[in-house]
Amino acid sequence: MFIDLNVPAPTPSSQLGQSQSKKGKGKQPAAPATVTFAPGQISSLENRIDLLVHLGYTVLALNQTIQTKLEPKNHVNILDPLLAQLRERSGLVLLKRLTIVLDEGSEKGFGLTTQNTPLVASYDILSLLPTTQNSLSLACLTHTLPSPLTTHIIALPLAAPRLPFRLKHTLIRTALKNGAVFELSYGGALGADADPSSGMGEGGAGAKRNWWANAREVVRVTKGKGVLVSGGIVNDADLRGARDVANLMTVLGLSPDAAHHAATKIPQSLILRAQTRRTYRAVLSEPKVVFPHAQTTQPGASAPAPQPAQAVDPPVQAVAVTDPIPVTDMPEQSTEMTAKNVNGKRQRDESTAPSKNAGHTADVDKDGAGRKRKKTKTKDGGP
Amino acid sequence: MVRFKNRWILVEFIPCTAPSPGRTPAAQAASGGIGGSDVETSSKQIWAALKQSVITHFGDTGWGAVGASLTVKYYSPRTNVCIIRVARDPYRIAWAGVTMLSTIDGQRYIPNVVHVSGTIKQAQLAAIQHNREVIARYRALAKTPAGYQDSYEEFLQTSAQEIEALQD
Repeated sequence: MFIDLNVPAPTPSSQLGQSQSKKGKGKQPAAPATVTFAPGQISSLENRIDLLVHLGYTVLALNQTIQTKLEPKNHVNILDPLLAQLRERSGLVLLKRLTIVLDEGSEKGFGLTTQNTPLVASYDILSLLPTTQNSLSLACLTHTLPSPLTTHIIALPLAAPRLPFRLKHTLIRTALKNGAVFELSYGGALGADADPSSGMGEGGAGAKRNWWANAREVVRVTKGKGVLVSGGIVNDADLRGARDVANLMTVLGLSPDAAHHAATKIPQSLILRAQTRRTYRAVLSEPKVVFPHAQTTQPGASAPAPQPAQAVDPPVQAVAVTDPIPVTDMPEQSTEMTAKNVNGKRQRDESTAPSKNAGHTADVDKDGAGRKRKKTKTKDGGP
Repeated sequence: MVRFKNRWILVEFIPCTAPSPGRTPAAQAASGGIGGSDVETSSKQIWAALKQSVITHFGDTGWGAVGASLTVKYYSPRTNVCIIRVARDPYRIAWAGVTMLSTIDGQRYIPNVVHVSGTIKQAQLAAIQHNREVIARYRALAKTPAGYQDSYEEFLQTSAQEIEALQD
């Protein structure tokens, strides 16, 4: 199951006209209500997706790139109408991704704030492409914390001669601990013409040399742990199969199983983690507050009786019951764990607002119990 | 025992035209032919292109590690399927050389490594399996009924015989 998280989406023809006519702030023309793509662009994208399927990829993410700042006024999600125009394919999953290229202009802030959350809520994955030292530290430290705005992918401009910043271990380690991954686009390895909007610079032999040098550096600093490979290919002729790309990573110094994970397991867990943007601070189960009654001596004893009936309900209720009363029987705990598994899995599919509120109360509840609950990742929800 | 160990790499070269969108195998089937480039590629040209690619990317030392043992054992111009034999130790260098190939004789290709194995038998089986999958894909696109006898059947048999005839 191979995943390519960077298939550059074509810029729609209507938007190109727009960007030429307006200049800076002032009277903004209204953003185009409909985004139109030329039929040639649609057919070339269809061809590229065909090729990717032939090469063995099953999950793709269409990538929309934005320079410098995310402006709510004229930002249009071009991926939604694009996806609507593509042919139906079974066995293929298409995701939507937004990349913001950070340069000097974005150091003061580039629009990834809580007030812009509804704008970015329609994208499945967010990512940043820092080009300066300051923007790199911004990206690694602040934007990887769990929130509705977490950017899970940090892409680096590998084709630039001499990376404009030093990759410090502390920065990278914090980002990895928060769950971000660093992305290597294999297009640069072949000296391909880079995506012009991605800010990576031109292709050719020089870019190839820089790519190898810089990619090796990234692998060294991350010690092979949080590395993701993806395409970023503009020309169809530069596409490569997933196992070929894994082999190229081995040449970079990545161990063979880490290279294989970089195209399978790491993007897989990344997509799941990206869904935590919809939850409150990456808590995935839905806790429910239960106030223990003063009269009943053992609320824990009454729990096993209604347990089968409650197996369908948010079973974290059972956990909340046990919080104030630490004495629990073993069988009760095992049933509650399995019930939590069943529901934990279901919770992942549903959204959003209820879990946010529940998360709040859960915080209150757990503070009262004095026990710290870490980020519940999908470990217990997994098969 | 000190035996000389090899790796057999099964590569499919997908022809495409750049920079305009590549013609996928689906498009080619629709146009009624498999392959169809004007230039006749042969195993010698593949070997030359591979040698050039390894020298450009891994230098003379890379070619030195790989060159003595690199042979192109089988190439079918109809399906663009190629079987390459390399020594086991530097096989990743040869594999990377194949991946970084972009043109053979001026025609652009996408090299797609389908299978890597340590014995010739597995490589033969993988090649036959790959041919069958490709034919199945063409047939699914053409929507021919199940029992229909078409020219693909004969192609499958002749290619299977050629592949089986491979010697170490």
